[in-house]
Amino acid sequence: MTVDSKQSKMGAGVGFERIRRITGYLVGTMDKWNDAKKAEERDRVKHSIAK
Amino acid sequence: MIQMIIKRDGRVVPYDREKIALAVLRAMRASGEGTVADAARVAEAVESALESRCGAEPPQIEVIQDMVEQELMHHEFTNTAKSYIIYRATRTRARESRTTLMKTIDEIASKDAKLSDLKRENGNIDGDTAMGAMLQIGAAGAKAYNEAYLLRPEHAKAQREGDIHIHDFDFYALTTTCTQIDIIRLFKDGFSTGHGFLREPQSIQSYAALAAIAIQSNQNDQHGGQSIPNFDYGMALGVGKTFRSQFRKKLTDVVEDHLDEDNLADAVAEAIEKTEASFGPNALEPTEGFDASLASHLYDSLCIEADVAAHLVARARRRAEDQTERDTYQAMEGFVHNLNTMHSRAGAQTPFSSINYGTDTTPEGRMVIRNVLLALDAGLGHGETCIFPIHIFKVKEGVNYNEGDPNYDLFRLSCKVSAKRLFPNYVFLDSPYNLKYYVPGRPETEVATMGCRTRVLGNVYDPEQEISYSRGNLSFTSINLPRLALEAKGDEARFLKMLDDMLELVAQQLLDRFEIQAKKRVYNYPFLMGQGVWLDSDKLGPYDEVREVLKHGTLSIGFIGLAETLTALYGKNHAEDPAMQEKGLEIIGRMRKFCDDKSQAMKMNFTLLATPAEGLSGRFTRMDRQRYGRIPGVTDREYYTNSFHVPVWYPISAYEKIHIEAPYHALCNAGHISYVELDGDTAKNVEAFEQIVRCMHDEGIGYGSINHPVDRDPICGYVGVIGDTCPRCGRKEGEAVSEERMQELIKKFPQIKAFVGIE
Repeated sequence: MTVDSKQSKMGAGVGFERIRRITGYLVGTMDKWNDAKKAEERDRVKHSIAK
Repeated sequence: MIQMIIKRDGRVVPYDREKIALAVLRAMRASGEGTVADAARVAEAVESALESRCGAEPPQIEVIQDMVEQELMHHEFTNTAKSYIIYRATRTRARESRTTLMKTIDEIASKDAKLSDLKRENGNIDGDTAMGAMLQIGAAGAKAYNEAYLLRPEHAKAQREGDIHIHDFDFYALTTTCTQIDIIRLFKDGFSTGHGFLREPQSIQSYAALAAIAIQSNQNDQHGGQSIPNFDYGMALGVGKTFRSQFRKKLTDVVEDHLDEDNLADAVAEAIEKTEASFGPNALEPTEGFDASLASHLYDSLCIEADVAAHLVARARRRAEDQTERDTYQAMEGFVHNLNTMHSRAGAQTPFSSINYGTDTTPEGRMVIRNVLLALDAGLGHGETCIFPIHIFKVKEGVNYNEGDPNYDLFRLSCKVSAKRLFPNYVFLDSPYNLKYYVPGRPETEVATMGCRTRVLGNVYDPEQEISYSRGNLSFTSINLPRLALEAKGDEARFLKMLDDMLELVAQQLLDRFEIQAKKRVYNYPFLMGQGVWLDSDKLGPYDEVREVLKHGTLSIGFIGLAETLTALYGKNHAEDPAMQEKGLEIIGRMRKFCDDKSQAMKMNFTLLATPAEGLSGRFTRMDRQRYGRIPGVTDREYYTNSFHVPVWYPISAYEKIHIEAPYHALCNAGHISYVELDGDTAKNVEAFEQIVRCMHDEGIGYGSINHPVDRDPICGYVGVIGDTCPRCGRKEGEAVSEERMQELIKKFPQIKAFVGIE
């Protein structure tokens, strides 16, 4: 991952990385996910651990 | 009088009755009826029919073909008419695929991946790069060819219309899916990658390097991922070698220092050899009496007093152990880095790699497990979470599950790492359908999984070899279950009948594909078969057909959307109503029974797969919404729910979710996975994390993992949950941070190895 050094000093235009699991594999950024899987990720709810 | 005709592309060309006669004659030859004179007679009849229909207007080619069909029937050449119709349909299919193909290639070549869903069908390929796009264009071409020339018409129709999804369809004519690579067997006496021979490795560093190369090489022979089922057992041999050579070096050093002499390496080596001759090879935990014997040999050859010699041996042992631990960590770090950066398939992908470990209780094996977990925990150069390999921790009672088990500490460590890095995932050896194959002392009988979820263990073809090693999936095809339910309109009996038919159709298609795969020869798979990676392939010569040995693999029938299927049939899904859970288990159980029966009938391994479904989750849904409209709980989202999962949007506790999904793991013998989603704070609580893993174990889950958000700000290096604002540097996505603030952060967080762009 290389970022133009001047730009990164400022950070302008640099996004956050968001790592998620898809079909068992991790994907480093959701940019490359297809539309259906993006929608699925958006819909995921957290599961409580209360018994 | 007809003078001209209009071709499909709009060109107007002179009419020629002979061409019609020739086409008719060809169809007659194919069906074995009629003569040249008959063909001429039919052509004449076609001509007069055309004249009366079109007059002076030039007819379209399609109209002419309609007339040929009609006249063949009229002249009672029924079989010829049939073969003509089939011929026409095949040509149409080929023509259509050509047109679609050009459109597809145009999209791949000219559109940005951001705007093209097609280019993001597989999240691991960067369609914006030259090699990624080339791979996609090749795939598009292969798919068009395979559909037009290799599929039976009924299979092509089912695939095209979204009744089924034939996975890795671009590779239909070429290869098989995946393998669990037994690195112990592969490394013994060295192996060849096709570009050079690699000798048997002699240190943990070279063991780790060669493991990565093995994954890369095999990835080029198959279309799926690659996994190592025995990472701990395999790497442990490298640790042993490193320890032995380090011990020799360290002992030489301390002996030379003690005697203040040089060149004692040979004398020390001789003393060690003599000791090994009676006590077996030196190891991290040597046979009792080893060190005492070695000390006495040192006394014999170098006259070092007994108590001093014992002291030197102990010191050398300590130092060698420390050095081996450091070397092992570096080797594991290198391995993980390697798999995240190495390229395969013309550079378009990093290999899909997985490693299974956790059950080797030797000190060498434990050193491997500990250090690979620590390397995973540390992350990549800037602390990034590693995407590859998928780490899979094998959980087994008596080995690592309970307090007092020899590897319990490593299981605990794995929970801590997974709570931070999303890996390892967990595979459960105690679940009954895994336990029944388990033989203590034979690690090949331990279930191992591909990271995605594919597993192979039972073996109908060869019941003597019910093992994980050296086997894998050959191909799989998934059924659009919600489609069948929608088509049945709530009629259960009709649904089941259609399901049975669809299972039969898919089984036939898998057998057709097997026939293509089986005709390949060893030289078509230079690494997989040529180097003996696949079970029993070492018994074949380079020109032998791979048919028989391939039967160790599995043909898998998959499915998607059990939740939507139940909703379409009965109005509710299996999380909403216990009665629906019964229905769900009936449906999936029926599919499993079909696979078992088929396996027995064919003496091949048909297995049922809870399909990973990356590309098809949107494709099926889009098609079904177009066909049946927007149906709540069925087609009202952009995707179908994965396999037997409780829908991702359904609010439920982790324990209930595990409880509902576990019984399906037992049924889906080709592979299964269950996820639990935690929020960031819960994931940080390692106790809570471990409790969920334990719940999975106790409920009989086969393979599971816990998801939690892992975000990273590349500017300040923060890893954790980031909402709108980065909790460390305070910037929002895309915002800038001032130089002064950056300098403050660098001082405040010296442990951050490097800030991207400002090293």
